[in-house]
Amino acid sequence: MIQTMTAAAEAGPRPQDTIVRQATKPRRDWAKIGLGGYFAVFLFFLYVPMILMAVLSFQGSNGNLTFPFQGPASFGWWKSLWDSSVVGFGQNADLIRATAVQSLKLSLVGGVVTALLGFLLSMAFRRRWRFKTDGIAFYVIMLALMTPGFLVGLGNQLLWKAMNLTPSLWQTALGANVVWGIPFSFMVMLAVWNRYDKHVEEAARDLGADQKTTFREVTLPLVWTGIFGSFLFGFTLTWNDYDRTILLQNGYQTQTLPLQIGGMTFSQAIRPDLYALGAATTAISLLGIGLLLAVVWLRLRFRRAPVQRISEELGDTTGLGRAAGLVGSRDTSN
Amino acid sequence: MSSSSGSEPPLGESARLALDEVEEAEAILAQNPPKAEAALGEAAAAGRGSGWLTAAFAAPGFAWLGFYLLAPLVFIVVVSFWTPDQSLGFVKTWTISNYTGLFHDSTYWGNMLTSFETSLIAVAACLVFGFPVAYFLALKVEKLQNQIALFIIALAPFWTSFLTRAIAWTFPLMGRQGALNQLLLKAHIVSQPVDALGFSTLSVRLAMIQLYILFMVTPLFFTLAQVDRTAIEAARDLGGNWLNTFKEVVLPQTMPGIVIGSIFIFVLTMGEYGTVQVVGGGNITSVGTIVNSKISAIEYPQGAASAVLLVVALMVGVFVITRFSNLREEL
Repeated sequence: MIQTMTAAAEAGPRPQDTIVRQATKPRRDWAKIGLGGYFAVFLFFLYVPMILMAVLSFQGSNGNLTFPFQGPASFGWWKSLWDSSVVGFGQNADLIRATAVQSLKLSLVGGVVTALLGFLLSMAFRRRWRFKTDGIAFYVIMLALMTPGFLVGLGNQLLWKAMNLTPSLWQTALGANVVWGIPFSFMVMLAVWNRYDKHVEEAARDLGADQKTTFREVTLPLVWTGIFGSFLFGFTLTWNDYDRTILLQNGYQTQTLPLQIGGMTFSQAIRPDLYALGAATTAISLLGIGLLLAVVWLRLRFRRAPVQRISEELGDTTGLGRAAGLVGSRDTSN
Repeated sequence: MSSSSGSEPPLGESARLALDEVEEAEAILAQNPPKAEAALGEAAAAGRGSGWLTAAFAAPGFAWLGFYLLAPLVFIVVVSFWTPDQSLGFVKTWTISNYTGLFHDSTYWGNMLTSFETSLIAVAACLVFGFPVAYFLALKVEKLQNQIALFIIALAPFWTSFLTRAIAWTFPLMGRQGALNQLLLKAHIVSQPVDALGFSTLSVRLAMIQLYILFMVTPLFFTLAQVDRTAIEAARDLGGNWLNTFKEVVLPQTMPGIVIGSIFIFVLTMGEYGTVQVVGGGNITSVGTIVNSKISAIEYPQGAASAVLLVVALMVGVFVITRFSNLREEL
């Protein structure tokens, strides 16, 4: 039956074939183009503050917080970020630098603690914790997500006051910040465990690895990205926090960058050096993201190759894959 | 050896069919696990000694949450029932006067209402403006790497300190000489700069939408990425126009994401303090700033009572939002 049809088709081109070919010609996906344009506008909306800041950070020493641009254009505000002796620019530089370093330290520690606690919690849930507390435990973690920041700050402040202790950045603010990071880390890790194939651990144990080795050599490398994601969450949330830390700081030496900026806003002491800092952090994060993406892209390319080869071996009937040199090396390696 | 199979389509085809069958069998197994294995697995998992290990994993996290979250929250409730004291802040005598005082405080309820309005607007705006973004990333961008790359580019501003971004909504954008006023002047929409733009409810709300919209886009993106593209194609092939397809196929599957995102935005904006303080420049108040001003005035019990009522309002709001989707079942 099929053969007769094929024979008929090979007999000569029929008008129907041409029509079919025209109908299946790929049409332009206007929805995609439209949504892509919208995405560009959305990105612009997100980046508008950064663009304005970047522009205003290149003002002269009489530069102000708003337009019009006060010339002459200079790098003074940028230089003052690391060199407070730049004449006319450097009044705030020391404060901003000190608090930025303070914030960076706190965020790094916050990220590490968040990743560690979230990872351990997800391990507990992964072991199918079927106690009555299962539900309650889950809701406690979700409560951490849903409590407004300044309430956590307020509660901690009151509690420490009642205990006759002074809240401090490293003892209290860090705790309150990690509280917010934990549910994010927990959710990231749950998503990772959901895609995780438990059999690889069994295989490792069958091959004679003890529990510690299995964990170090098999489990950890596979969930490493999730742990790193948790760290990024913890870091970012702590780095950005204002509501929690404002009630938990102990004076001027232990301020974080957001608190310092907030304080300068209220005393109207902000200068364009803040814009230089904002533009610099954006530039640094974009650079970091670019590097990260490049690494991930290279790794994916490197790792996908064998899979691609197998799929091409299975499905490639034209020999194009082999001609391109994609297939074949696997056999020699075996 | 296997390279030769490429030239023999029947073999590849049968291999694929066999794979399909295995997958099908696995799916059936996953749904109805054999009773003996299930019983064994449960017993093995919850076996002696194993429970202790689970507890050991959970202990540090819950200890942290207990000390830095639960205890403080319980203590807020306790303090809200204590008697105010001008020098010490509070004395440990029980009273409900903090609450009765609040119930007659029209400023407090006015702020509660404004905060609620702000939250509703923020949730709606983030949903309306965020959904197309998530839809584009999840369903219109083909490669996973490109999806992630674009998504991270949208996330990048988050590493610029929160208040720095908030400040952009004061002078540079919304101020008298700000970008928006310049734009309006250039377009001849207004003849002179509008002073009311800066440090206004409008600027606070716009800033909040910009600062928080990614908390909506992220859960939407993750749920939309799980929507089966072939199901959408099938719906279109069966004659559904895009509106029907969206309503019947995409929306039901995205509901958990919408609910989670809405909870995020609602809670974050309703309990907001920093943005209101900085972008509002002291002109705008919210429940958060009211609680904070009470704390600054050493009126701890009153502040705690205001906070407790805010938590009640938040819980009611979250409860209402969760009615739109059964999260426990769908996650």
